[in-house]
Amino acid sequence: MSASRLERLQRAFVRSATFAPDASLVAAVTGGGTLSSAEAVDVYRRGYPARLTSALGETFEACWRVLGDEDFFAVCRAYVARTPSRSHDLSDYGETFPGFLGDGTALASLGVDAPYLADLARFEWAFKELFHAAPVPGLSPAALAAAARPDSRLLLGAAALLSFPHRVYGLWKRDRKNDAPIAEAEWRGEERLLLYKSGGNPIFARELSAPEHAALSALSAGRTLGEALEASGLDEAGTKELFAFAAEARLFREAA
Amino acid sequence: MADAAFVGVGLRSAHYPRLLERPRTKVRWFEAISENYMGSEGRPLEVLLKMREDYPVALHGVSLSVGGVEGPRPGYLERLRRLIDRVDPLLVTDHLCFTGAHASNVHDLLPLPYTEEALKTVARNVARTQEALGRTIALENVSSYLAYRESEMSEREFLVEAARRSGCRILLDVNNAYVSAKNHGFSAEEYVDGVPAELVAQIHLGGYTDMGKFLFDTHSRAPTEPVWELYRRAIARLPGTPVLIEWDEDVPEWETLEAQAVRAARIAEEERERQPA
Repeated sequence: MSASRLERLQRAFVRSATFAPDASLVAAVTGGGTLSSAEAVDVYRRGYPARLTSALGETFEACWRVLGDEDFFAVCRAYVARTPSRSHDLSDYGETFPGFLGDGTALASLGVDAPYLADLARFEWAFKELFHAAPVPGLSPAALAAAARPDSRLLLGAAALLSFPHRVYGLWKRDRKNDAPIAEAEWRGEERLLLYKSGGNPIFARELSAPEHAALSALSAGRTLGEALEASGLDEAGTKELFAFAAEARLFREAA
Repeated sequence: MADAAFVGVGLRSAHYPRLLERPRTKVRWFEAISENYMGSEGRPLEVLLKMREDYPVALHGVSLSVGGVEGPRPGYLERLRRLIDRVDPLLVTDHLCFTGAHASNVHDLLPLPYTEEALKTVARNVARTQEALGRTIALENVSSYLAYRESEMSEREFLVEAARRSGCRILLDVNNAYVSAKNHGFSAEEYVDGVPAELVAQIHLGGYTDMGKFLFDTHSRAPTEPVWELYRRAIARLPGTPVLIEWDEDVPEWETLEAQAVRAARIAEEERERQPA
């Protein structure tokens, strides 16, 4: 079925706003005020990248700080040009931004050497997702003690289990007024993190050892407690420490 | 008789800390941007529900795309319905415009041509929306920076006819009426006078920016004096209509925003007192 007149106009408007002015739209309108029709269409075209860049800046604020205005806006322009927004919610925009930074092309074209930046973006996306997640009332210390049997399956409540080849948590926390160049010592090395809510909406972070991360990953994947601890290599002292923290943070819920 | 000055402000995250202290305020109600809460179960929703304990709240959407030929995005109405069920809002509103296509949301309030085809599209989408939400919505007139050569009626005629045909109500944005009137050369006074009172569910007031060649609806400042005058004219004819101060960019301190609400309430009271008994 051929498109209706309204459908053709709306398609032309979307093309004009997101890509380049469409001649059929420019011909179909008159400009407001003393704008020409092309200038009027351009008002809408200029607003689109500005809104999406603003949304990216809100989610990836630490990346913005690292890159500075000029480079961050240049990266955003390149990303927005190839990535339409499909959600009704602007805060959903940018899910693939970390991968875009990670493929290196956009940063290399700017002469930016920041191998940790994609990981920092992944951290920020995970933080944003957790920010909007419902807090989960986790098991109390007594309930966790009762539930912690080798065959029990414990799941994380509102939490994000993260693992990066670069250290990014310190960069994210970095004082906003600290404009000193980022030293290699600040990002070199692997990092494993747990972001979590403890019953309410504030978000906490805990750095994890490799065995702790392995144990929590196995539990999240549905393994039993016994299997998870065995696979992780956590020793007895480490297990006690992890569960003391989990009890206090009310980290776990029991699998249904 | 209804209260002459039922004035609210837009709920913005910059004011969360202040508002959670439960300050004494003359602001009577709040308006929340629906999309900011539809996808969140975290802090934003927590704050909204806390505010709702003390105040009426209206839900104001920006992505319904009621004039879009594709209609609302898949899942949008279901999410909005869930939010409505939790908030029990005073009003549910959106804009008489389209916001893009499903494959590419422009996140802007794009004007419609004022044609029969657009009217039918709006009526179809409003019917679907009101059925899904189980309630009547109100649609806001938007500011525009271009006009379609093929329009068959005026903006006001289109707004009123869209509401009449679809059975929705009108959110009369006085600032938008002023901005579009100046941009397109029609009378803002005739516009606000010509919207039937029984259709108006709410009034919006905001600030525009003069870009030299055109007026731009930025919501980045207080309403200008000509907009206050136009509001006075509107509220004289529409006493008791809920009034909302919008300020979305360069959001000021709470007290500055509250002062705008106080001014809107005072004007409503003054106009009420002028009315014959």
